[in-house]
Amino acid sequence: MPLKWVLQWQPNPGTTVNSQILAEVSQCVESINGVKEGRWKATLTYYKPILRDQAMSPEMPRDFIGMSLPEQPSKYYFTLRTHRLVIESDVSVQNIMEKLQSYKSRVALIFEGFQYQLGDFQLRVGKVVPSHSENLRGIVMEVEYLPISSLEKSRQIMEDFIDIWQEALSKRSLPGHFIHVGPNFSEFGLSDHYTSQHTAVQYATVMAQLIASAQAVSAVRN
Amino acid sequence: MECVVQGIIETQHVEALEILLQGLCGVQKERLRIHELCLKSGPNLGAVPSELRILCDLEQPEPSWTVRHVGGSMRGAGAEQISVLVRPMVESKASKNVLRFFYALGYKLDHELLRVGFAFHFQRGVQITVTVSSVNKMLKLHATDEAVPVTPGMQLVEVTAPATSENYTEVVAAVTSFCEHLAPLLHLSKPGISTGVVPTAAAAAASLMSDGGGTTL
Repeated sequence: MPLKWVLQWQPNPGTTVNSQILAEVSQCVESINGVKEGRWKATLTYYKPILRDQAMSPEMPRDFIGMSLPEQPSKYYFTLRTHRLVIESDVSVQNIMEKLQSYKSRVALIFEGFQYQLGDFQLRVGKVVPSHSENLRGIVMEVEYLPISSLEKSRQIMEDFIDIWQEALSKRSLPGHFIHVGPNFSEFGLSDHYTSQHTAVQYATVMAQLIASAQAVSAVRN
Repeated sequence: MECVVQGIIETQHVEALEILLQGLCGVQKERLRIHELCLKSGPNLGAVPSELRILCDLEQPEPSWTVRHVGGSMRGAGAEQISVLVRPMVESKASKNVLRFFYALGYKLDHELLRVGFAFHFQRGVQITVTVSSVNKMLKLHATDEAVPVTPGMQLVEVTAPATSENYTEVVAAVTSFCEHLAPLLHLSKPGISTGVVPTAAAAAASLMSDGGGTTL
């Protein structure tokens, strides 16, 4: 399948993300001739262990994430980022997790917005919100290059495109910029050929970065 | 949900059973070689202990993995009346890291088995699967090439059919009716209720082998 890079909004120190920034980003895509095609939505859930003795919790994974992706409606993806594990399964695996009653879903986040066609690229701009709130936690952008599935072969093209994009966006003088934290896919047992498991790993990395940034902000405040 | 019955048959009669099943099911058999790993939750995990099975299909050129959870069987007077076990069951295909994944979540390997044999998947009003397999244990961890039968000379026959809470009575009826055709060779009952081998098995097998299944039993 075509490869994609998942970018995330990094606010400047002392600022936070807001819906005005989201609107400017969307307008910028359209200003470089991105054609709006439709909506997209992905969901991400943190699972937390149910323990009989809470004191033993440090041993349990803290970054157990489940994800559903719009391009794979019959699949579900689990990642354990610190263990460098990703698995793809059927959506019925969520029923299994419920029946096991060893983990329960803690926080659910939604990534949603519009998708745009721009030549050989497909772009998705999305807000990051908790599932039952409109409280904007972040902005993500997926940049998908349709002709190629190889991460290595596409690297230069992707970097060139991101440069063009960053330059277009910089003219709007927004308080932040997009970053791409590229995970080491081989550590997760993934190959150069792109798959939806790669996407799940990128989103797990985005979440880790979002949490780290939020913690840095509250550390400065405190 | 699924409906399940099980029975045992002597290995010497398996070929006859295969002929009978070929005639009844009208489909080709599929070879079966499944590595089954039973995982149980570690001591601190979950309000109650939990268990799941990871199945690795070794018959494919590339092993394929399934996660399976089986719930407690249906209870009550109604359940006791029927000769088929009805229980909740959920399965999901999974990619190859699934075992390491559940270990990382705090599950431990309780035991593992290798099932070797064949299966028939067919429609008889409802979808039914019959598997005939020897159950083998591994002498060393995950050593599927060195597995030995748990009960040499005997094989396990299992008839399963997926069901929902809306249609399980219809599925039970279809499974029960199908099992009647196997009665001369083996008796099938709820797992855990063992009835042993059937006295007519040898004669029935001989009949099947002599004319290749042309005669109806």
